[in-house]
Amino acid sequence: MGDIRQSLLPRDVLSAAKELLYHLDIYICNLVQSGRQPPQVDSKTLDLIEEFILHAPKDRNAPARRMSALQELQLLEIMCSCFQEQSRDTVRQLMFSALFGLQGNAADESRMALLGKLVSMAVAMGRVPILECAATWLQRTHRVYCVRLAQVLVDDYCSMVPGSVPTLQNIHSASPRFCCQFITAVTTLYDLTTEELTPPIELLQMIVSWIQEDPRLVLITFLNTPLTGSQPINSLDVTPLGGLVRWCVKAPLAYKTDKKQTPTHERSENVPEVGPLFSTLHLSVLQVLMLLPNILNEKGLFGRMGLLQLDSLAALTSELSRLLDQADKHAHASDAHAAPQLALDRLAQALQVAKANGALLCSRGRNLEAVLFLFRPSRLGKVESKIKTVKMRKMLVKHASKLYPHFCIISVFSRINYFDFHSSNNVLLIHKLLEHCKQLVFLLLLNKSVC
Amino acid sequence: MLNDPAMSVVCDGGPLKAMQSSHSLTAQTTLSAQELSQEIKSFISGVDAVHGRKLSVREHARCAVRLLRSVPACREAVLEHLRGVYDEHVSAFLVNLETEGSSTSGGSSNLEDIIQEVHVVLSEFIRLNPRAWAPLVSTWAVDLLGQLSSKHAGRRVAPHSASLNELLQLWMSCAATRSLMEAYSQCLAAMLAWCPDACVDALLDTSVQHSPHFDWVVAHIGSAFPGTIISRVLACGLKDFCSHGAKDQGLLMMGMDKGNRIPKIGSVVGILGHLAAHHSESIRKELLRMFQESLSPSSPLSPTSSSTSWESSPQLRRSAVPFLLQLAAMSPNLFGAVSAELVEQLRPSILLQLQALLQGLPKEELENMLGLAVHLISQSPTGGARVLKFLADTATPASVIISGPTPSPHEGVREGCDRLLQMLLLHLHKLVFNRSDGAEVSPHSSASSQPQRVIPFLEELRSHVAQLCAETLRLERKRHLWLHQLLCLLAVYGGPSVATETLCQLLTQARNPEELALAWQLHTTLSSCMAGLIPAAVAHSVAQIHTHTLGPRQLKQLLLNLSIAIQSQDEDRKGGGAQSSMAVQVGSAVSGHLHDFCPLLLHSDADVSHATARLLSCSPLPRTSSPAHLLLLSRAAVTHFFMALRKRVEAGNVGRDGGQAGEAVNCSVLILSRFAAYSPLTLKAILQQLAEGALHKGNADLFGGQVADMSGAPVTNPSLSSDRGASLLDINCRFSTSVNFSGSVWSVFHAGVIGKGLKHRTASQHPDPAGVIWNIQTLLEVIVQCCTSSGLNGTPSPSDPDEPLPINAEAAKVIAVTLVESVCPDVANGELSWPPEEHARTTVERDIHIRRCFEAHPVLFPLLQVVAAGRPALCYCSAVLRGLMATLLAHWEASREASSTDSPWHLQASCLLVSCMGEGQLLPPVLANVHEAFPHLNPFEVRLLLLAVWEYVRGNGPLPQKFVFSSEKGMFCRDFSRDGDVARYVAPIHSVLHKNIDRLGHLCWRFQL
Repeated sequence: MGDIRQSLLPRDVLSAAKELLYHLDIYICNLVQSGRQPPQVDSKTLDLIEEFILHAPKDRNAPARRMSALQELQLLEIMCSCFQEQSRDTVRQLMFSALFGLQGNAADESRMALLGKLVSMAVAMGRVPILECAATWLQRTHRVYCVRLAQVLVDDYCSMVPGSVPTLQNIHSASPRFCCQFITAVTTLYDLTTEELTPPIELLQMIVSWIQEDPRLVLITFLNTPLTGSQPINSLDVTPLGGLVRWCVKAPLAYKTDKKQTPTHERSENVPEVGPLFSTLHLSVLQVLMLLPNILNEKGLFGRMGLLQLDSLAALTSELSRLLDQADKHAHASDAHAAPQLALDRLAQALQVAKANGALLCSRGRNLEAVLFLFRPSRLGKVESKIKTVKMRKMLVKHASKLYPHFCIISVFSRINYFDFHSSNNVLLIHKLLEHCKQLVFLLLLNKSVC
Repeated sequence: MLNDPAMSVVCDGGPLKAMQSSHSLTAQTTLSAQELSQEIKSFISGVDAVHGRKLSVREHARCAVRLLRSVPACREAVLEHLRGVYDEHVSAFLVNLETEGSSTSGGSSNLEDIIQEVHVVLSEFIRLNPRAWAPLVSTWAVDLLGQLSSKHAGRRVAPHSASLNELLQLWMSCAATRSLMEAYSQCLAAMLAWCPDACVDALLDTSVQHSPHFDWVVAHIGSAFPGTIISRVLACGLKDFCSHGAKDQGLLMMGMDKGNRIPKIGSVVGILGHLAAHHSESIRKELLRMFQESLSPSSPLSPTSSSTSWESSPQLRRSAVPFLLQLAAMSPNLFGAVSAELVEQLRPSILLQLQALLQGLPKEELENMLGLAVHLISQSPTGGARVLKFLADTATPASVIISGPTPSPHEGVREGCDRLLQMLLLHLHKLVFNRSDGAEVSPHSSASSQPQRVIPFLEELRSHVAQLCAETLRLERKRHLWLHQLLCLLAVYGGPSVATETLCQLLTQARNPEELALAWQLHTTLSSCMAGLIPAAVAHSVAQIHTHTLGPRQLKQLLLNLSIAIQSQDEDRKGGGAQSSMAVQVGSAVSGHLHDFCPLLLHSDADVSHATARLLSCSPLPRTSSPAHLLLLSRAAVTHFFMALRKRVEAGNVGRDGGQAGEAVNCSVLILSRFAAYSPLTLKAILQQLAEGALHKGNADLFGGQVADMSGAPVTNPSLSSDRGASLLDINCRFSTSVNFSGSVWSVFHAGVIGKGLKHRTASQHPDPAGVIWNIQTLLEVIVQCCTSSGLNGTPSPSDPDEPLPINAEAAKVIAVTLVESVCPDVANGELSWPPEEHARTTVERDIHIRRCFEAHPVLFPLLQVVAAGRPALCYCSAVLRGLMATLLAHWEASREASSTDSPWHLQASCLLVSCMGEGQLLPPVLANVHEAFPHLNPFEVRLLLLAVWEYVRGNGPLPQKFVFSSEKGMFCRDFSRDGDVARYVAPIHSVLHKNIDRLGHLCWRFQL
């Protein structure tokens, strides 16, 4: 394979790339047929790819050969048809990873650029094989690069070209696996921390509609992947559940501030409210979580594998506490208390449902307590003292009674610490109550006593 | 094109509907994956994938637009393809222009609608999502614009890149470039809100790349967004400058302008230069703002909301001043815009801030900056005077005595300015002298091959020479040293003309010897490299005098300074000073222009005329001079003499300090005597004019004269005189009755009109007799000095200095002739020899006129005495003497008084007349002594004696040829022994003596033969 370099050199950029693709195809076919395990593309070939397809600068002296945008488009088109026409899955996968598997060198940048265009084009042209390959790529690659690929697609379809969202929407039917990975990447990308990291409304709509239509979509990767435990480090999560929960929890607070900053945005007229969308999404997430016990049982994994990671939840709670801080600062409007309440609400619900359905593994609630303790005592107390409505307390009691005793206990603990500084009478009372009864009635009493 | 109806309908409707909303767009452009794949194939191959037919440019472009809308991955390829389309349109457009539209606009080449479609799509994209599209499109559009404008720059119809307006007009009339420009403007408008630097960066880069051809774009954009573009461009330039650091600064300062090394600043300068045409005001404001804000202490909570504001970075703020200097160094335009106001801005507080800021810089950078500033100042075409004033003001040490309008600056600032000023002077010095060296190296090559380098700073200061001189002459501490040095440089730079002017100014403005010394210092410096400076300066002053550009005070100062200069020569001659050569030069220069100065003697301002007199009195006389000039000089000098006399009289009357008036007279006397000694011509002229002047109506009163009508013409009636010349007929009538028969027997004596008594004499008040005597003495002194000077015949001065010099005969003759001409206008019977006494009655009227003259002008007798002293000049006065004698004879004959003393004037006149004639050796001593007897006789006896005199003169005619020059006496003498026997004429004398021997006994010895 390495000996064709001399024949490639005199050719022009495009035809050299075409020639190399052709030879690569043959080479990989041979490789697969030889039956060597595992099939491995040698480094010379990778070098050729970098030189003639990616045009990575080989050394500083040689002038970098560059393709014009038109030539690049032609190359992409050829690649599309090449992958399309290759019937064997293994060959296709090998070829894809030979072309786009990250090598950790200078060529990675152009690799990523080309990959972005190829996938974007495949989405437009509905090239399923490429999307499948890309889904695998997304599973195996470091999440930073996955996020970049997702960013390219979102930029292309949701912001650059107006009206091209339906094209992206089609990937659900074309390649559910890619679609699932895409959602995971997108939720990882948009963590709602800044304005730029807030998902475009079109994207949100699309994802909500996907999951609403087919909740199992979220789990497709999980279902199709043999869980060998050999997940590459720092790759994307198996499911987007963690990211989705984060969206739902943070959304009320994140979007609130967002809206305040740009109250009269041009697009806000035609744009539907995001609130209902997140509610729908939250519901869908809860539904997906409800599906889990059966699936996990089928796989025999119930109680052995959690789809929600505790550390990501810890991160989420700390972010949430920060957001609550901010919300405190800006709390002048009458409905200002609704958003923090909703956020806490969703978090509590998600935790409870996940816990109940085996998506969240924690031994006797201790880990969870640790996580939730991140709500510093003063924090929760402050929130509650600010929200001097009976409603909140009622809700607390309600939640405590029905769904999540743990959460309730935690909040009681925090209450204790909070009141510690204020009234020793209360502390004594709460202590006493806590010592003796963990039932609802007492909690209710507790609430009333505070009131 | 319309083979595929469905498609074309879709596309034609596209742009229109696209404008409506994004929903309509989404509805119609959703194509299936299969269709998209077909489209991409068609786009790539340029062949319709369905029908296998080649696409036209238009269809291809439409295909591209469709892809742009539906396949995001294709956008770069599409944009690249569209470059070609735009290019094609521009080509077609230009070809169409070149053929002057003779070929009707071909449908195939007319891609305007496609370009319109593309534009609509792009602008919609930008509108919907500026963040994503604006950077992309702006880069693309700018790059394409650059490419197009440089590619087609050489076309025939394309105007030269220098004519920006035409270029702009051409390109804006082309749909493609206009559309690109609009798209770019839209991007820019969108991007200004959040990342203005990026788009301006792109603009700058492209501008660098396609330098002259791209300028129209920058100009257009700049004028569309002047405020932002200017500030952004500056900010970009500053950032770039800061990142390049000061290492390139030195290079630039040395003049090695490597444009590629500092790309940004070059184009910053270019762009601002373009904008300067229309937005110089805002550029100036922006530059000044930059300057001010770089100085103002950093405020962490800056109110400026700009995210990219350079003010926040201390490093950028620090390099703002060097950057501005750099900018100014690279663009005279910008420099010109800022420099004027910058100086105004530099108030003490600002200066302190500036100092604080600059203290933080490393030493070499400071040196660089200083050098740059000096370079800038020296290149500044305008405002140099203000800059200089500012520098000098600031650098002048604070003083108790001199308190300027601004409070004294901080010491550090002052030192900085001091340093800057010195470096400036040094730099100018180098420039000036290297420049002249360069000219000398190649003397044979013409000036065009090696043009003299212009130093704008000095160019501009040329017009401020006067102020500079005035400033210098204030002799303020260090200041005048600087200014003096600068004046030297200016003079060397400006060549003779400026040097001359400077010297002139100094000469005109200096008020005391210390100040005048500056002028000589300047001259000493310049004399090494410039010849003939002083003559030129004097000539220039003279020119100024001629054009009346100098006021009386300046004029006086100039003249005084010149005379001081010349006088220093005399002092130096004794001391042997170094200035003597210069004083000699001044003297010779002035002497060449004496005739130009002499009109100033008559200047209405007394000070000026006095100063002129001083100058003329001390100035050496020219070797040669034209008679006209000499006459002019002498006339002026004489007139001035009389004026000075009058001044003295007036000063005496008022009781004022007559010192100056007296000095003026002395000067005048000196001038006259010097002139008289200069040449025979001047001597003659002066004497003649002096004599005439003394008798002139205007001056007569100075010498006790009375203005009486001398003619026999009738007294004009006061009523008639009021309308003099009213009627020619009237005058003619009167003329016929009053025709002047003077000289004839029939003359009518107008002693008065019958019935009205004697004609009324205007009784003139006799002024101060002492003054009159003084004046007469002065006049005589002058005349005697003139006459005794060795001008005429080169007579050697007598051995005994105590003995008065003899009166020169020729000079005396001049006076004599003049007297005759003035006193006796009638030349009839003008021969020297005397007729018998009876014939005198034929000339009665003339004689009376002569007598009246003597009556009116007492000064005549002294003059006659002078003439008499210069023998044989009195001979030429024969006619006058005879006339006077005749009237005296007539008087004594008619007199019935008992004693001659009863008519004192006649007695005095007779005495003086006879003594004069004796002095003049018209009479032998025996006869000349008769006047001593006159006061003791009765009138008839006086007549007898006078008749004896007459008879003698008639017998021995008063002819000059009877006189012989005696060399031992040094004068002419008459040998009476040659004439006939005197005894014959002495007989009446002896008879009278006998008759009155009781009274005249003591006089008998006087009449012994």
